[in-house]
Amino acid sequence: MSPSGPVVGNGIESRGPGHQARMIGSPPVEEPVQATGVVKRYGQRTVLDRVSLRVKPGITGLVGPNGAGKSTLVKAILGLVRLAEGSVRVFGIDPRREPRAVRRFVGVVPEDECAVPGLSGVEMVRYAARLSGIPGIESLRRAHEVLDWCNAGQERYRPVETLSVGMRQKISFAAAIVHDPRLVILDEPTNGLDPIERRAMLGRLTTLAREHGKTILISTHVLPDVQAICDSVIVLAAGRVRLTGSIRALTHPPTPEERLEVAGPVDELVRRLVARGIPARRPHSTDLFPAAAGSEGRFSAAVGTMAPGDGAQEGVVLLQLSTPDALAGMWAEVRDLGIRVRSLQAACRPFEEVFLEALQAPPSESLHAAP
Amino acid sequence: MPLHDVGYRPWQGRRSGSLAAIFVIATTGLTLAWTSRWLRRAVFFAWSPALVFAGSFFVFEQAIDEGRLDSIRESARLGRNVDGVGILGRVIAESLGPIDAPADRHLGPEEQANRTRRMVWARLMLAFMRSPQAILLAIVVGLVAPTLVSRDLRVKAWLIYFTRPVGKFEYVAGKLLILGLLVASITMLPALSLWVAGVAVSPSLWVAVTTWDLPLRIIVASLALAIPTVLMALAYSSVTAESRIASFAWFATWAACWIAHTSLSTADMVQRVSDDSVVSQPSVPGEFSVEEGSVRPRRANVRPRAPAGDLGETIVDFIEGRAPGDGRRPNARRVRWFSRVTGVDATIDRWAWLSPYHALGVIQAWVFGIEHRWQAILPPLLSLGIVSVVSAVVLWWRVDAPARA
Repeated sequence: MSPSGPVVGNGIESRGPGHQARMIGSPPVEEPVQATGVVKRYGQRTVLDRVSLRVKPGITGLVGPNGAGKSTLVKAILGLVRLAEGSVRVFGIDPRREPRAVRRFVGVVPEDECAVPGLSGVEMVRYAARLSGIPGIESLRRAHEVLDWCNAGQERYRPVETLSVGMRQKISFAAAIVHDPRLVILDEPTNGLDPIERRAMLGRLTTLAREHGKTILISTHVLPDVQAICDSVIVLAAGRVRLTGSIRALTHPPTPEERLEVAGPVDELVRRLVARGIPARRPHSTDLFPAAAGSEGRFSAAVGTMAPGDGAQEGVVLLQLSTPDALAGMWAEVRDLGIRVRSLQAACRPFEEVFLEALQAPPSESLHAAP
Repeated sequence: MPLHDVGYRPWQGRRSGSLAAIFVIATTGLTLAWTSRWLRRAVFFAWSPALVFAGSFFVFEQAIDEGRLDSIRESARLGRNVDGVGILGRVIAESLGPIDAPADRHLGPEEQANRTRRMVWARLMLAFMRSPQAILLAIVVGLVAPTLVSRDLRVKAWLIYFTRPVGKFEYVAGKLLILGLLVASITMLPALSLWVAGVAVSPSLWVAVTTWDLPLRIIVASLALAIPTVLMALAYSSVTAESRIASFAWFATWAACWIAHTSLSTADMVQRVSDDSVVSQPSVPGEFSVEEGSVRPRRANVRPRAPAGDLGETIVDFIEGRAPGDGRRPNARRVRWFSRVTGVDATIDRWAWLSPYHALGVIQAWVFGIEHRWQAILPPLLSLGIVSVVSAVVLWWRVDAPARA
């Protein structure tokens, strides 16, 4: 049996006098999620194969193709499945031993639409709040408060089975965060949302992470969402971790660079910039993506450029504009050569390319990018 | 944006323990179930037999109050309808025996009234809980139980529970409590109300003291009724995501087992009347001894066997509850089924374990102190025990099966 004693907020679990209080929801000393050598098999099929990972505070994307083991990993975090090997700790607690303790500070938005038919939206959120231990009338107040924040409107009073997919997604999200969890796990949170609501949902996730200190783990196939809001990413494929690291490290070059897209004599521009002492070059995939060494051709296409020295009249230049003088010098050369500038932006790579490259790498290679 | 949108705020309140989830699940489940019009009708209808039985209590207590117990006994023995619906007359006629029974002679009028009251009340309660309530229970449970777990499996609502601090124990206990409360509302509460009504219409409130054990027996009988049925219904619900299938399985079990029981009992009776040279009908209930599983008269009220070729008439006699060859006794037409319902049938129903309805009836008769023979009690007790344990194991295994998959 789990402890059934009262718990004050997200803070200290109390089992009466004499019992040493344990901090279960206080600012986490331990990492939110730590998995070590996790192996999970269904019969002969290995779904998670020695998975070791850490989810740090902030927003983490969990991506991978279908059947990669994402849902099983989420179940392992919730203590729903028995592991063949390895261990999982959520804020330092083993979810298999103390599932109720873990689930008190975890909120989950499942991929599947799950709702109790017959309940209205607000009743559904209230039900979730009461199951999480928020008592009586307070659960109703809290449900309305969270639904207001999710912009649920008057549709909250309609039975859940009659709601649109997007509205159901909102209800599901509200139900996951109503009890003020420390860790929020979302499976495809933007499924069924229109572009406006999708953006609003991503904004809410960012707010939860940045302003309220929540740890958010998003399992999704929408890679632009991952790139837009995630701090770090875990790529799972065939039950193994193929890539982990911060999004910035994976998509940005090691040193800050700008990506200048121009129409004109690119090589001449590069030569002149270098002559001025401004570090500039035509892009090589290995420069941007250390993990992709040896697959240069594939990545040069991905960044929209051509190989250096081909006399191209348009293309991309990577340069370091670390000082205002360097920026002024660049504009002077551009004007002098009569080059048309199409864009100037921080150099980064679409995460989709990083993801695909991680999937194509040999299974034995597990790539890690520095934070 | 709502005018009162205060944004997302941390919640710092006192949380209730995990066990509170049981009551949350139960109350929400009951609220949802109560939206069914058919359930409301069934529960309403389930209370109506209590009014009929309350009339019997009233007539009986009125007779005692006016000192007409002997005359009402005699009227009952002559087959007269003493309470307008015929229940009380049958109970009195078949359970009390003749007025000058040796057991009654040495008792004073008050002791005799108390003894009679306890016996009649117990049999009335048993009749109430067996014939209308047990059948209504099967209907009410069949309306509610099949959806309780199967719907959660179908719409994946199990995720709502098992991603929160709700374990299997709380989930199963919450679902059981939904059905338990419903069953209590159609069995225990009406029966307790009947007892209260009986006390209220009796000459003295002292009757509550002399019948103090009846409320306890009612509670135990209700639990005996509820535990196997509720576990079995939820087990059916947990093995399929289609509540229609669970519903069909539930009603089919009751119907098929009833039919099987009736067929085998009839076959037994036919066999008995064919094999035995004599067949008896007790003049005084309880005057039987059991030999090798069949019931034979100790103090035989022996009649010659029906002549050969009259087997059809014998079966009709059996079905109508008459002793074969007994002829049509004026004003004493008894129905065997009612005799069993009221616990006055002295034969051992050796196929009772096969049918939930009949097995539950035997157990209830035991709880009310009417049935004492272990040969009669043990097989249904074992049968219901096995059904309960197997159902509980299946239920426990199945409720979180999708989470493990």
